[in-house]
Amino acid sequence: MAGPDWPGGWDSFHEFQREMGRLFDSFDPFQAFRHVRAFPPMNLYTTGEEFLLSAHLPGMDPAEVELTVTSETLTLRGERRRPEGVQDDSYRRQERFMGRWSRTITLPDRVDEAKVTAQFADGVLTVRLPLAGGAGPRQIVVTATGATPGRRGPGAASEPHPNEEGGRP
Amino acid sequence: MSDPHPPIRVPVGGHAAGRPPAGDEAEASSAARPRPTITPPIDIHDGPDGLTLEADLPGANETNLTIQLEHNVLTLDARIDPPAPDGMRLVHQEFPVGDYHRSFILSDDVDRDRIAAELKDGVLKLFLPKADRARARRIEIKS
Repeated sequence: MAGPDWPGGWDSFHEFQREMGRLFDSFDPFQAFRHVRAFPPMNLYTTGEEFLLSAHLPGMDPAEVELTVTSETLTLRGERRRPEGVQDDSYRRQERFMGRWSRTITLPDRVDEAKVTAQFADGVLTVRLPLAGGAGPRQIVVTATGATPGRRGPGAASEPHPNEEGGRP
Repeated sequence: MSDPHPPIRVPVGGHAAGRPPAGDEAEASSAARPRPTITPPIDIHDGPDGLTLEADLPGANETNLTIQLEHNVLTLDARIDPPAPDGMRLVHQEFPVGDYHRSFILSDDVDRDRIAAELKDGVLKLFLPKADRARARRIEIKS
């Protein structure tokens, strides 16, 4: 394998990682995916009551990140620009992603889009997505037609009439 | 108009400067399970006065990032806290939670005393100025 081949005469910079990386490759299963992964990479967590989405957006101005949430999807969109005044041919190395990006994910459960909050710190966007009320499994009482209406369970007043079950909101 | 996210000046520690106190504590508590080491992507570009290195280090801040220059090796290290509080279950993962690490060997052409570092929105910018003797000089040819 040839050594680093940088244009320009000032070869002041050698990378130690090249050697170190080889030694430690086996410990880092993500290393191989470093350059092919989607931007921004996102992790999704849950407590059962809310989702927490963490997205790596280094160097982005939070005002320029467009976040839209529906009850089942989340879309992030923006553009990452190179620093101004730097000519393309002055780059010796370009590993960082730049350009327009957009990602949409389908959430595993319905969320209450009115209660979604987002924070940006140190290049990390954190979106909290509380689950929509009643998104959990709902038990529907099945009653036989003509059953005596005397049987009462908790919350019987709001118990839907079997005939209304077909017309869900 | 003030910038809501001003850049942070990051001191470049020599070999005498230790890690920040937070790093020591965290190191002790993490001994139990290994954390992945993440190689951050970098850009390097040339300027008239030296090189500029930019590294994507989302989650890094002035307390968890250390930049060390020991002899001719410049090392970036940052220990990143998990993005979610304990007790949250991971549903989908695209980035590992671990520690950033990358090292570089500087030649003598870099003026080590004037290396400057700035951290803003998870991007580290390192200025590596050329030493005076390494700058291009015009040599007059006497007839």
